[in-house]
Amino acid sequence: MINKDAIGRESEVMTTRVEAENVRRFAEAIGIPYVGEVPPTFIITFRGGTVPGLDLPEKGLIHGGQKFTYYRPIKVGDVLNYKRRVKNIYERAGKLGKMTFVVQEMEGRSATGDLVFTATSTLIAREEG
Amino acid sequence: MEKFAVLQAGASIPERVWIPTDMQLRQYAEASGDYNPIHLDEKFAQQVGLGGVIAHGMLTMAQVGAMLTQWLNGEGSISQFEVRFQNMVRPGDTIHCTGVIKEKLANAVVCDVKALNQKSMEIIAGSAVITFKD
Repeated sequence: MINKDAIGRESEVMTTRVEAENVRRFAEAIGIPYVGEVPPTFIITFRGGTVPGLDLPEKGLIHGGQKFTYYRPIKVGDVLNYKRRVKNIYERAGKLGKMTFVVQEMEGRSATGDLVFTATSTLIAREEG
Repeated sequence: MEKFAVLQAGASIPERVWIPTDMQLRQYAEASGDYNPIHLDEKFAQQVGLGGVIAHGMLTMAQVGAMLTQWLNGEGSISQFEVRFQNMVRPGDTIHCTGVIKEKLANAVVCDVKALNQKSMEIIAGSAVITFKD
């Protein structure tokens, strides 16, 4: 059972710099040439920023959906501040039993505070038994 | 790609074909930081009932993203990109990424995108909004 009290809670703010070397490795892993552009899914490499009290199961977690919104393109050299927020936690009865949906939104801003991106992920946890 | 002026609703985006390998899943795990053993450890993936390793959903989404950026070739920028993950991808599958322009706006196009496997099962489906400068 995932604690619904976590709805609305935020993580600490994390800071990252978009390094050319990391973008190049990411592009090569996808199978595209690196030409200085940042692939649209690169944001997924921004780790950390755990929401306190959100205990996600380690096993059986499914990625149900992902949405990215860019207010401007991300460029190599950008310094971005980001944090996660739990937007919603809800249950649905499915073919495979009870499922809990956890919707988290990550928001990224420039050093001057301008909104650069949001990334919304929906994770699905299946309840055992 | 064609200039924005000639893009029309109904036009298709050039397809991208992708055949994932175990080595690519390892490479993507290292590049993305997602080391979940369901993508890397055959025995573990069997034990948790997946019948073998599966590709990262985000790696499949990245293939659809690659289809878009290779088509755009720097002409426009992706301002929104959204997918639902519907079926699993395994090493050796043949994945076809496709897209079609759904709607043309003043300075943007809205595209429907999807990825299908060799059995024509829908792996992911979603949409993208691409914005062009004046």
